[in-house]
Amino acid sequence: MGHQYQAIQWNRNKAHYDIAIALFALLYTGIFVVIGLQPSETGNTPDPVVLLIRAFGTCAFLLLTFILMIGPLARLSDRFKPMLYNRRHFGVFTFLLAAVHFGLALMWYHGFGPLNPFVSLFVSNQPGGTFPGFPFEVLGLAAFVIMLLMAVTSHDFWLNNLSAPVWKALHMLVYVAYGLLVIHIAAGALLTEKSMLYPALVLVAFLLVAGLHLMTGLQERGHDRLRRALEDKGWVSVSAPQDIPDKRAIIVPLRDGERVAVFRDGNKVSAVTNVCRHQNGPLGEGRVVDGCITCPWHGWQYRMEDGVSPPPFTEKIATYNLKLMNGMIFLDPVANAPGAKVDPVFFDLTEYDESGDAEAV
Amino acid sequence: MSETILLAVGIYCLAGIVISLLFLVFGIARADHAAKGAGLVFRLTILPGLIFLWPIILGRWLSGRQINQDIHGGDNS
Repeated sequence: MGHQYQAIQWNRNKAHYDIAIALFALLYTGIFVVIGLQPSETGNTPDPVVLLIRAFGTCAFLLLTFILMIGPLARLSDRFKPMLYNRRHFGVFTFLLAAVHFGLALMWYHGFGPLNPFVSLFVSNQPGGTFPGFPFEVLGLAAFVIMLLMAVTSHDFWLNNLSAPVWKALHMLVYVAYGLLVIHIAAGALLTEKSMLYPALVLVAFLLVAGLHLMTGLQERGHDRLRRALEDKGWVSVSAPQDIPDKRAIIVPLRDGERVAVFRDGNKVSAVTNVCRHQNGPLGEGRVVDGCITCPWHGWQYRMEDGVSPPPFTEKIATYNLKLMNGMIFLDPVANAPGAKVDPVFFDLTEYDESGDAEAV
Repeated sequence: MSETILLAVGIYCLAGIVISLLFLVFGIARADHAAKGAGLVFRLTILPGLIFLWPIILGRWLSGRQINQDIHGGDNS
């Protein structure tokens, strides 16, 4: 089920997120230009336009580096997951900074000659000129075109009309764009740079992006191996925890004919047999009341964590072990003894609340 | 050579502008039901993408295929 399109989806959180990014960009470019305008030891003052070109270019590169770090960071630690929120706005804003850099560079280095600026861009290697023949500006243009296509297709309209696989493939080109940008900087601005600060920063940025992706790739491989091991041992994949209705259960049939009720209470998930001790009522069709699983037939209750009826009652039902892995609940089909305590599986509820707000633009 | 490429890009974008405007006025609500009743700002938001990717959208429009048919139109501008 889709939703009707809006131009840009903003809410309070998204507005704060966007304002924070804009403030950062404003501060960064402002400080960059002010520091750059200070006369050097030789008494030369750099051209303000060149400073602006570099300020917007480096700001866009820094933000793109950060955007590419968000995904792996969120996979490595849940603390970074809120940053995933509104990443599309972040990307479009970064493109706008890159567009200012591109526009200024095109006009400043190619706009005053006899040639069309775009033609001039393809046949010359301004401003460095210390790496003759290397088309560093063309690489920057290629990266810009990729970012442009990503920005103009960031609305949900394009996700629906291009189809999710095509849209995703198009947006994965961001990695190509990032690689092109690293070469664009290394073979362009860095060649005329005397300080080691900028080469070091670009290298650190690239290593951070590459290293984080490598780490998460290795982690995913580990998870895949563990999941296969669990499935080999007969564990059953149940569902994503947030897909279980709150205070309700989903019923999982096992191969031996047994049925297990997997209940969710807020951010906790526990599993018990589906059979009530009273009259074999279907517990999984009941609900959680005051923290206890309550049979829909006659209201018999059992605590989620150990399947024991709250005092003064003493009835016990079998519990099951669960594991949460890669956002999926897995169930051990071997029942524990009735009344055996099993710690519930906890999951981060806040991230799912936020992701319910679909992103656009 | 460079001028020829630039001219080709210019013609492509010009065709994109014409087809995009026609699509936004006459085709979008039929092709994508989620766009029914969507306002001018939404249409301007997707316009740059239409100008660059107009062959894809033109193909969709001419094929008559519709998406998001479970959504009923309304004014959300």
